[in-house]
Amino acid sequence: MRPLHPLLLAALVGAAGLPGLRAQDSAAGRPAAVLVSGPREGDRAPDFSLAWASRDTAGAVPWFSLSSQRGNVVVLAFYPRDFTSGCTAQMKTFTEQYNDLFGEDVVVVGINADSLETHQRFAQSLGLPFRLLSDPKQEVSKKYGSADQNGYNRRTVYVIDRKGRVAYTNLRFGALDPKAYSSLKAAVSDARRN
Amino acid sequence: MTSTLLRLGLALGVASLLFALPAVAQGESGLRVGAAAPVVTVNDLDGRPVNFGQWIGKKPVLVEFWATWCSNCEELLPRLREAMKAVGNRMEFLAVNVTVNQTPERVRRYLQEHDVPFRILYDDKGTSIRAFQAPATSYVVIVDAKGRVVYTGVGGDQRFEPALRLAAGIND
Repeated sequence: MRPLHPLLLAALVGAAGLPGLRAQDSAAGRPAAVLVSGPREGDRAPDFSLAWASRDTAGAVPWFSLSSQRGNVVVLAFYPRDFTSGCTAQMKTFTEQYNDLFGEDVVVVGINADSLETHQRFAQSLGLPFRLLSDPKQEVSKKYGSADQNGYNRRTVYVIDRKGRVAYTNLRFGALDPKAYSSLKAAVSDARRN
Repeated sequence: MTSTLLRLGLALGVASLLFALPAVAQGESGLRVGAAAPVVTVNDLDGRPVNFGQWIGKKPVLVEFWATWCSNCEELLPRLREAMKAVGNRMEFLAVNVTVNQTPERVRRYLQEHDVPFRILYDDKGTSIRAFQAPATSYVVIVDAKGRVVYTGVGGDQRFEPALRLAAGIND
């Protein structure tokens, strides 16, 4: 039997799952694929440092750096835009169910390309008890496979364990999906125990 | 032979990318117009299962995903009421509560205070939310009598009426 031509082999591998493409259940339960180039569960979470805003302040120093959170469980919530319906639903749910979903010792941050001023207004409007990080060039979002091609983030969630490793990923977090929240809650609970 | 393999290889490579890319956007933009509407079963507020299959593919259906805290949904409500009045029983109106930050009691209180004449469902398992790829509250999907999605939209000021008239067969 003749060996497959390298280009054909490459294409077949690509069709099955190009590097950076990972099969995932679609919202409708059918197999689908999403463009993913972020770290996988068990990988060391890529470090980053970003300016942040909260309901009380914008642009305070020091910036948020992931490596400085070593010893804490961290939730990174990448989301498209401030003040949009889906993002409002997600952040409102995080806020209203904060203790149930996360617990006081967990560090939660939201990340997208919006400015610090917009972040502060958004955080104030919902009374967010956590910080929003500004990633205007989507450099961090790209590292985590969460940047859309339109300059917005896709809605993804990462849980980082106390040692700085990725403990959980949801690369298609459904802002209205109760299952997404229960799965996140379980992942955070596991990470807190370990 | 080599050029055939090259063309095949390139075609497969491109096909794999085309297959992958649209799904990225779908998660936030809802169902594609022209897609077959999903047939799911969702409970009502009393926990009774309601199967969409009794309407999908048999008559036009409008599905709205809503919550009591959703200001866009409240803005949309009067126009949905008007639409329902206009089409009468030619179309089924389903209002799926997304259950995020909700309780059945809170929804019942809201219904007592607001005139919501649609069939109310309470999707605490997220079945229809995932199947319809609901990106946000106020998400409206209109399905024609053949069971095809003819409209999706989000927001209090979305213009669903032309698609609704078309799906319901109203000529004016």
